[in-house]
Amino acid sequence: MTQELGAQDLAPQLVPLNAIFATDFVQILVPVTTANTMQEVAAAVAHHVEGRRVRAQPFEKVVIHNGKRLPADMTVAAAGIKPLDHIAVEYDIPEQS
Amino acid sequence: MALLKREEWQGFVRDVDWSYSYVDDSAVFPEWHCGTGKVPREAWSAWEEDYKVSYPEYVATQREKEASAYAVKSALQRSTTFDHLDEGWKSATKMHFGGVALVEYAAVLAELKMARFGLNGAWRNMATFGQLDELRHAQITTFFGHEFIGKDAQYDWTQKAFHTNDWVLISLRNLFDGMMIAPNVVDLAIELPLTFETGFTNLQFVALASDALESGDVNFANMISSIQTDEARHSQQGGPTLEILVEHDPVRAQWVIDKAFWGSARAFAALTGPAMDYYTPLEHRKQSYREFMEEWIIDQFVHTIEEYGLKKPWYWDEFMRGLDIWHHGLQMGLWYWRPTLWWRPKAGVSKDERAWLAEKYPNWEKVFGDKWDVLIDNVNANNLEATLPETLPWLCSTCHLPACNATQSRDGTWRVRDWSLQYDGRTYHFCTNGCRQIFWKDRDNVNHQTLIDRFLAGQIQPMDVGGILGYMGLTPDVMGDDPDYEAWTKDYVGRPVEGISLAAQS
Repeated sequence: MTQELGAQDLAPQLVPLNAIFATDFVQILVPVTTANTMQEVAAAVAHHVEGRRVRAQPFEKVVIHNGKRLPADMTVAAAGIKPLDHIAVEYDIPEQS
Repeated sequence: MALLKREEWQGFVRDVDWSYSYVDDSAVFPEWHCGTGKVPREAWSAWEEDYKVSYPEYVATQREKEASAYAVKSALQRSTTFDHLDEGWKSATKMHFGGVALVEYAAVLAELKMARFGLNGAWRNMATFGQLDELRHAQITTFFGHEFIGKDAQYDWTQKAFHTNDWVLISLRNLFDGMMIAPNVVDLAIELPLTFETGFTNLQFVALASDALESGDVNFANMISSIQTDEARHSQQGGPTLEILVEHDPVRAQWVIDKAFWGSARAFAALTGPAMDYYTPLEHRKQSYREFMEEWIIDQFVHTIEEYGLKKPWYWDEFMRGLDIWHHGLQMGLWYWRPTLWWRPKAGVSKDERAWLAEKYPNWEKVFGDKWDVLIDNVNANNLEATLPETLPWLCSTCHLPACNATQSRDGTWRVRDWSLQYDGRTYHFCTNGCRQIFWKDRDNVNHQTLIDRFLAGQIQPMDVGGILGYMGLTPDVMGDDPDYEAWTKDYVGRPVEGISLAAQS
């Protein structure tokens, strides 16, 4: 019996995603890899939109997948995000007191 | 010798429904082409139409129409009219020529199918004229558009567009293959003559002819009016077919009409919507796209389906809400991905134009104004690079148009939402709930691959913007660009700017 490799041990695989950035008007194709963190995924999506169609805001960005907000350091593999999945990237705007 | 009255000879020459003695009826009219379904074969003997044109009459009338259209063209060719046309109007015509010329040819094939497999002699007779009509439309549209190549290379796409893998054309081919090439003749008569021609193009052509005259393009108005007179006749194949189908299989009738109306509405939002609300100069606009749809398409469509005892489609609320959103999102998509077009898309968002948009569409500023503001600020900061695409928009697996339809939440926020489903081991995404539902019901049909599917399958090489443009057939002399950036950005020069592309600020 051989030991199974964890997701972190596999070579990064390409994961093309259907992504929407905050209030943008259109979903876009954004390729990431299984090794990318959510912070990197958010940046990859923002690259096509932020400051181009949606005004840049001074807040952290958060990736939402299947309705769940994912931690910034979690990888695509660990989050179980599969090719052609949909993700939304939103600004993590602090609630106003 | 006195001539016979029409009713005395019409039956002889037209109603040639013989009884076959060497083969079965089903060998002559196979189900997969004829699609009688639950309708008893003999029920089709009641099919009737009102025009009752004979072949000599048809030829004489068409000859006159042709002579008149070409006479106007020949007279105007010597004038300088074309040189003074607005760039927005020219774009609307380029879009029309490229998008329509060979759809007319697909319609020839559709009419031929009905001329052969129609389930009644009167129907086959009318479709025979219909195919001649469509052949004339394919020719006249190709010829009228193509002659401007000498003045503007983008008119080359009058002939070329339909043969390319441009995303707009993939979307149109998918729609019209589904409506004209794939269906049996019963479904075809309801999808094409009834829903698309009676419902959409008849009225679109009337409106387009009026816009053409308003813009000073007499030649185009003349061409389109000439075509429209044929449409008015052969589109009458839909009514009698629907009447018989509704009687025997109302569920099928409702589904076929619902699907065709939705597909037509999506295509109209992409092409007619931007042309009416953004490309037409403000002073020439008579109606907004929404007003046009409500007055000319929707009232008439609802009246027609209720007349036949059918109901409004299940997606009606989503469709009506879409009248405020779909074409505005598509306009932004067409503009942002402008190198993929064979026309020069106007942005059309100067202060005056925005005031008009906000008056016609009260949510426009909230949903689209903020994005246009960022684009404007980038243009004014001389950062055009930030206004050009580096990836593909996601294309819907049903309509093949970008997934760009924001909807409003209960809390008032507008977001583009995911409409997806899993089928046969993969995930599909759609622009709307309507497109998702139609895909699911039609899931075993052969659908065209979207540009995204092709890209991810490695069919487009190299896998970058250059590779994509090459795959679509775009060359630098044709590639779309904004005709006049200053026209819509100068109102905003000098205003305080923040949050635009970093490259522009540095």
